[in-house]
Amino acid sequence: MALLTETPARTPSAAAGGWANPSVRYAVKRTGAAISTFIFVLIFNFFLFRILPGDPVALYTRGRNVDPESIRALEAKLHRPIGQQFLEYARNPFTGNGPSVKYNQSVWEVIAPALWPTLLLVGTATLIATIIGVWLGIRSGWNRGERFDVISSNTTLVLYSMPEFWFGMIMLIVFAVGIGPIPGMFPTGGLSDPGVDTSTPAGWLNVAWHLFLPVTTLAVIYLAEYSLIMRASIIEERGQDYVQTARAKGLMDKMVRRQHAVPNALLPTMTLVFLNLGFVVGGAITIEYVFSIHGLGSLTVDALQGPDVPLLQALFLLFSGAVIFANLVADLLYGYFDPRVRT
Amino acid sequence: MTMTQPTIEDANAAALGARDVVKARRKASRTRFTASFRQNRSGMLGLTILLIFIAVAIAAFFIPASSLDVTQVTADPFLPPSLQWPLGTDDSGRSVLLLVAKGAQISLLVGFAATMLSMFIGTSVGIVSGHYRGMTGGVLDRFTDWFLVIPYLPLAIVLATVLGRSLLNIIIVIGVTSWPGTARLIRAQTLSVTARPYLERSKALGAGNLHQMWKHVLPNVMPLVLANTTLAVSISILSETTLSFLGLGDPTAISWGSILEQGFAAGAISQGAWWYLAAPGICVVLTVLAFNLIGRAIEDILDPRQETA
Amino acid sequence: MRRLSQRARIVSMAGAVSVLAAVLVPGMAQADSASPSSSTPRSVFTIGVLQDMDSANPFTGITSAAYEVFQMEYPTLVEYGAKDFAAVPGIADSWTEAPDHSSWTFKIHPGLKWSDGQPMTAKDVAYTYNRILNGKYEQTNFGSYVSAITKAEAPDDTTVILHTNSASPIVPHPGVYIIPEHIWKSIDEKAVVSFKNEGTPDAPSVAGGPYYMIERKVGQFIRMQANPYFWRGKPAVDEIDFKLFKNGDAMAQALKKGEIDFAEGLETNVYNSLKNQPNITTVAAAPASFNELSFNTGAALDDGTPIGDGNPLLKDKKLRAALAHAIDKQAMVDKILGGDGVPGDTLMPPRYSQWHVAPTNPMSYDPAKAKELLDAAGYKVGSDGIRADAQGNRLSFRLLGRTDSSTSQKAVQFIKGYLAAVGVETTVKFVSEDNLTEIIGQGKFDMFEWGWGVEPDPNYMLNVFTCANRSYKQDGAILANLSDSFYCNPAYDALNAKQQVETDLAKRQAITGQMQQMLYDDAPYIITYFYDGHEAYRSDRFTGLVHQPEPDGPLTFQWGTWTYEQMKPVTATDAGGTTNNSSGGSSVPWLPIIGGLIVAGGAGFLLARRRPANAASDDRE
Repeated sequence: MALLTETPARTPSAAAGGWANPSVRYAVKRTGAAISTFIFVLIFNFFLFRILPGDPVALYTRGRNVDPESIRALEAKLHRPIGQQFLEYARNPFTGNGPSVKYNQSVWEVIAPALWPTLLLVGTATLIATIIGVWLGIRSGWNRGERFDVISSNTTLVLYSMPEFWFGMIMLIVFAVGIGPIPGMFPTGGLSDPGVDTSTPAGWLNVAWHLFLPVTTLAVIYLAEYSLIMRASIIEERGQDYVQTARAKGLMDKMVRRQHAVPNALLPTMTLVFLNLGFVVGGAITIEYVFSIHGLGSLTVDALQGPDVPLLQALFLLFSGAVIFANLVADLLYGYFDPRVRT
Repeated sequence: MTMTQPTIEDANAAALGARDVVKARRKASRTRFTASFRQNRSGMLGLTILLIFIAVAIAAFFIPASSLDVTQVTADPFLPPSLQWPLGTDDSGRSVLLLVAKGAQISLLVGFAATMLSMFIGTSVGIVSGHYRGMTGGVLDRFTDWFLVIPYLPLAIVLATVLGRSLLNIIIVIGVTSWPGTARLIRAQTLSVTARPYLERSKALGAGNLHQMWKHVLPNVMPLVLANTTLAVSISILSETTLSFLGLGDPTAISWGSILEQGFAAGAISQGAWWYLAAPGICVVLTVLAFNLIGRAIEDILDPRQETA
Repeated sequence: MRRLSQRARIVSMAGAVSVLAAVLVPGMAQADSASPSSSTPRSVFTIGVLQDMDSANPFTGITSAAYEVFQMEYPTLVEYGAKDFAAVPGIADSWTEAPDHSSWTFKIHPGLKWSDGQPMTAKDVAYTYNRILNGKYEQTNFGSYVSAITKAEAPDDTTVILHTNSASPIVPHPGVYIIPEHIWKSIDEKAVVSFKNEGTPDAPSVAGGPYYMIERKVGQFIRMQANPYFWRGKPAVDEIDFKLFKNGDAMAQALKKGEIDFAEGLETNVYNSLKNQPNITTVAAAPASFNELSFNTGAALDDGTPIGDGNPLLKDKKLRAALAHAIDKQAMVDKILGGDGVPGDTLMPPRYSQWHVAPTNPMSYDPAKAKELLDAAGYKVGSDGIRADAQGNRLSFRLLGRTDSSTSQKAVQFIKGYLAAVGVETTVKFVSEDNLTEIIGQGKFDMFEWGWGVEPDPNYMLNVFTCANRSYKQDGAILANLSDSFYCNPAYDALNAKQQVETDLAKRQAITGQMQQMLYDDAPYIITYFYDGHEAYRSDRFTGLVHQPEPDGPLTFQWGTWTYEQMKPVTATDAGGTTNNSSGGSSVPWLPIIGGLIVAGGAGFLLARRRPANAASDDRE
């Protein structure tokens, strides 16, 4: 949530030389950085949970009936030298810590079915937030100080100040439960009704119907941020010489905006959309909880109870991996569209 | 430290005359800043809201403990707002108004304390990594990059789980997860300050690294830190609310987030006790909004290019 | 967690949603009672639950949802009757104990079938018992029910003999689920550990109870289909679904709107909001569970070696008993449970009327008396307002609550307040239940708040307080056992040994009553309250649900499957078109379709609108 403070400030260090093509060099460098980040997360994830208080064996078997043989196997595994444990973990970081304590299945088996609800929720919400946010930002930035801008800026600022889950609760009260004359139009939770085959068009509609409120909640909160950024960059672009010149030359305002200002202003916003994915994922955690959606977010909340350490570790790794990847994509796109950063 | 180096003494002596000038200049700029801030309507609005909440938090020290003790209150649970109970009562019959007032203390405390921690880490890392170009800078820079990318809430959740649930821990969790943005920003600013001629001069005069950072870089990045701080407080408060809502806060402390969690858990919505959830929620929105308004106003003043309407 | 007398988990709730305005939305009821699909109407009973099953494998699963499904799938020799928990025939028509107490013989009902049509005989029963007796992994869930049994044999298809090494009133107990040999014999001791046993639409589970599983989506729902071969007859309701909710409020709303037909495990305030709603019947089931304030009465291993760091002052039973007078249990019932419960006294809950006893010397709420007793026991109030003994050891204790439960968080606040009022200081800390189990096992606590779900036979619950069930040491590590107060009293243990072999009901009642009184006096626990189970269902759609016990026991999550077997959908003639809709996408009503289209097309819609909107603003410039 780095509002307004974080336009990517890439600081090119001295070129190493040797790479003929700067774009290739840039891409390799960014990919290398992403990989190093992931390795850091891997190490961090491993050691963080090793400092949890309590008997590690108990930690991995909490509340569960485990036969003595498995306990001994687990003990043997957990009492090996830490380096050896780490190697094994590194070989298979997702499942290397054993099965989920709560679901008694391999971590991957628990996570896999929860993947697509979250992807769907976060993906759709991000898409909608981006489109509407960018549009709002362009309009209010270009017409700065007008009524539309004042209303839109103030509304988005208020929305930006809201906790997602609180807004979600309100959406739920108003549109799922119904209040006064507004009927409860949408389901109170879940992703689809039991028995609905989600591979048919009717099933998709059922899912879309269930996702409407949570997607709207997430989208509304995040479009606020995107529109604020877009507005700021449009204002900046508008002040640039070339825009002033173009307008002075009598080019139609619309043309100037569409051909020059918007494409340039879009870049920082699009980068932010990717950089922000980590926060949207975070938002999904509480939203899934409020709307009873069985995705990665509510799995995380489940895993907190106990805690279900193997599951929590895998989820943290997954979230981080996804965000690192999204950031890499953002970096590469940024480099592609704005050659200046490649030097 | 620097005291062992006689050259520093010399440099200080040489600068003595200039110090008053610098002081005067800074004072003037502060006055200018205050004047511009006064003229910034939304900034003043934010400041007013904030002062009101701070007043509420202070007033909350005078709430007798017995009126928040579940074994001593006598009102019915879930009473709607009335003259006697301006914001209604909670599921144990406590006044929601008093709860929210008491909650302002913890929410603001966590917000400020976590931000201080985050600013301290972020500013130190930012200045040091901008100042030292070699290994130290590179490593710190990498480190910032790593933390910048790790998704915030999952990291906070994992940390809070490992550390356990207490007030201090939640401050630590928010503080150590939210610094990298600041570090990035401060680093960039440090780089540009370091390039300025007078720092070159001070270096030539033999000023040590600590002296350079403390006396020259820090004052120059301070305004930026300030603007960033107000925005960071808003994020800290939101984080506290979210973590408490997920049950990761201190269960014995009353904060806006924990009131929301309790109301939520007690079925306030099914009971139609909207006041129980609306009051703390609105407090969060207003406070966060206040900090955002102030932060934007400061940014506008420091960087007129981005000035809003 | 586990129903069979394990820790009762008061599901911690966190919910969203409801009647802000008290006005119910009538418009939505049609949404789900929409016209049935083209095929024949199929009755589906959907139960909203807050906790998922952890595994569909009966040797693995331990949550109450898992046990509910196991009961639906797997028969038992004997069952607890619906009326009063009296033993009634399961698949065994009769059972007799050999005069020398060396065996029990069960006569199995002839001509039984599994849901795949294969015969179900005494061989399956013997297979199941032997598998548990000879297994390792299989022991974990069922070991306690077969501890007196040495061997099972099936001389013919209708006779099972269970050989025992001592007299035991617990052998004819519905604890062991009979599994089909023809399915499980291919799952060896290694494979059983990871065997999922989840039915799918193409390969449903093979069951012998009233329902078998046809689908499970972890964290979302479980679908059970009526078993046409069920020996008491195919149930009237074709399908029973368990739908998972992450919070109770959403579940209550779903019930009001008709998305589900039954809501289980409702939190008090959510439950109260469902009272007096049209078409909804609420049930506050007589309590079978209690919560307690437990003390560390001197943590030690089963051999008496002291462990942990409990405050030694709490070894004094006069102190513990005095504190019982300080706690206003009625106020806790009123304010935490909203009145749906009764103040606690002795161990066996009132629902089990044949075991419950009223204490002869009720320690009622009387802070003045508590202070008096504390003064008399030598704990005088110090200058700081906190009491201390003659040596100056202050009555300052650590009090642990559970993060998993919102009622625990409230209860702890009350306990802290009441103890403070008589000059006892507590430092509150909250930990997760799993974590608490560990802390208790190590004896590293002073007091904690938790509860138990109690099974109809008192044996298990009484065993919790024996010396032998304190923590034990294995391979150098201290492991938790049943005891969480470390109570150890030879007189109590002697009585316990007697009740375990007493087959005469009246005599056993007398012994168990004496034991409960003993625990009440010594106060290792202060039982704070027995809490009602909250359920609500759509009485406009289903009828004939059965209480266990009559007249005020719960309707689902019983000791048996009485409701599922006996309930019926309300037919169209009873009330207009209330047959529950079928599965399949046909239930998608219009509003949702529009909603879905908005999600899908929202972006496009806005893009399309962009031109004219912008054109207008351009004109202004």
